[in-house]
Amino acid sequence: MTKTALEQAQPFTIKAQLQACSSKEETFKTLVTLSKSLPRLSEEEKIEDNKIKGCESAVWLIIEESNGLRHFRADSDAKLMRGVLVAIVSLVEEKTRIDIQQMDLKAELQELNLSSYLTSSRTNGILAILSQLQQP
Amino acid sequence: MPFDPSSLRHLFPILSQPAHGHPLTYLDNAATTQKPLLVLDSIQDYYQTCNANVHRGAHFLSDRATNRFEQARENIARFINAPGQSHIIWTKGTTEAINMVALGLEHLLKKDDEILITSLEHHANLVPWQQLAFRTGARLRVLPLTSSGEWETEFSHYFTDRTRIFSATQISNAIGTSTPLQTMLDHAKQQSAFTLVDGAQAVAHYPIDVQALDCDFYVFSGHKMYGPTGIGVLYGKNHALEVLIPYQTGGEMVRHVSYQATEFNILPYRLEAGTPHIEGALGLAVACDFLLSQDRPALFAWEQHLANHVYQRLSKAGGMEIYSPEKHTTLVSLSVPNIHALDLNAYLDSKGIAVRAGSHCAHPLMAQLGVSGTLRASFACYNTLEEADRFCDVLIEAIDLLSDE
Ligand SMILES: Cc1ncc(COP(=O)(O)O)c(C=O)c1O
Repeated sequence: MTKTALEQAQPFTIKAQLQACSSKEETFKTLVTLSKSLPRLSEEEKIEDNKIKGCESAVWLIIEESNGLRHFRADSDAKLMRGVLVAIVSLVEEKTRIDIQQMDLKAELQELNLSSYLTSSRTNGILAILSQLQQP
Repeated sequence: MPFDPSSLRHLFPILSQPAHGHPLTYLDNAATTQKPLLVLDSIQDYYQTCNANVHRGAHFLSDRATNRFEQARENIARFINAPGQSHIIWTKGTTEAINMVALGLEHLLKKDDEILITSLEHHANLVPWQQLAFRTGARLRVLPLTSSGEWETEFSHYFTDRTRIFSATQISNAIGTSTPLQTMLDHAKQQSAFTLVDGAQAVAHYPIDVQALDCDFYVFSGHKMYGPTGIGVLYGKNHALEVLIPYQTGGEMVRHVSYQATEFNILPYRLEAGTPHIEGALGLAVACDFLLSQDRPALFAWEQHLANHVYQRLSKAGGMEIYSPEKHTTLVSLSVPNIHALDLNAYLDSKGIAVRAGSHCAHPLMAQLGVSGTLRASFACYNTLEEADRFCDVLIEAIDLLSDE
């Protein structure tokens, strides 16, 4: 599958947008904007099996694979979490399982100015999402 | 308003720092309060002048530490009007105190006995009883709040001749509602049930008189009443404490030990195995003194005024569901249809405002209210009217930003 220029550029713009944020408030607003680009899952897909445990907001993640490349679809009932999911998925989308497992996702999220979402892992469970992404 | 929070705000230097570039507005006091300098100083002073293990060594420092530690117990007894220091058991907090009672009473419970709680309980006053019921075959029953948030006018039928334990919170941490405690306790006593009151949310606000309440047990945490974390209190009537089987055994709680048998110590030591949280106890005693030195009714009136002010402003603004009562409470708990409480929380946080979003350790209550969680702003004596207004302003901004128009 060939990617359009826009799709190829997307991870970089997401990164640039988040890195340009100089305050927690700006990050918030950027995540709200990003959240709007996340395709929502259908009600049938929001089942217990797809749910990630350890998040205070509900998070669903579906991992698919074609031609050895992984595709991710995700949703949450919280808007900010949907923004974070857009950022996370942009890091791993269209990569191989091995490539994803070798990534330091925590460090990448820190680079995106999202480290405060990592530290409050008990409430938002981002770490649970990351470990799910890197599951064999 | 006669009370001016600036009269004591300077005692809480933590509040004068910025958060995310904004003035820190701390409205998460139902989770834990900040500590006045006096409390911090007492901890420093303990380690600088009298650190030693208590009740053990016969030397200068140990005598000093033991004296202060036992004096602290006396201060707590005075603070809640307990008849004496032997009624005060140090615990880690409310949770440990309730677990001590639940485990300590287990030997008295039989199949089909009833344990009664209310629908306002924190998980700390629910799970230990539920697990006790599982272990003993007793039944956990719940005295519910009606769907309109009131108490049934007649709830005496929940108290039966099988009710062995009645355990209720004084104030709900999640929605700020009070229980009609005295009436409930009267019903429980008519059935000769053991009674426990969870005072975690009450002690910072109300003067507590355990003898007037006439409950068997009263429990609270230091950290919610301007004291240190990791220290709390189990108060008990003498006969009630005496029947508790110690849930921990070891040093301190014994009088004589041989390989064949152990003779336990007298109360309060019998229920305090191991080296206690000494500086926590001293700090908590200082927190009690801090509260006693204040005009407590004025503080309480001020906290209620702040909560009522927010309640009024937000109900005027509309578009939200408020679960806390309009009056006689020190917190506001709400949800906004179609907006996740965590999202509101995140925006408030980005503006330096600390509140709590979530289920407040009360899943069954949230289920009854039909929400996954609420946003809670809870007030303490150092909060100002400007802070209450900032919360309202920023919350309304957040709703604007997060609404899908
Ligand atoms: C009503 C109530 N009970 C019990 C607890 C548990 O207190 P702790 O965590 O200090 O043991 C809390 C704390 O949130 C509470 O609000």
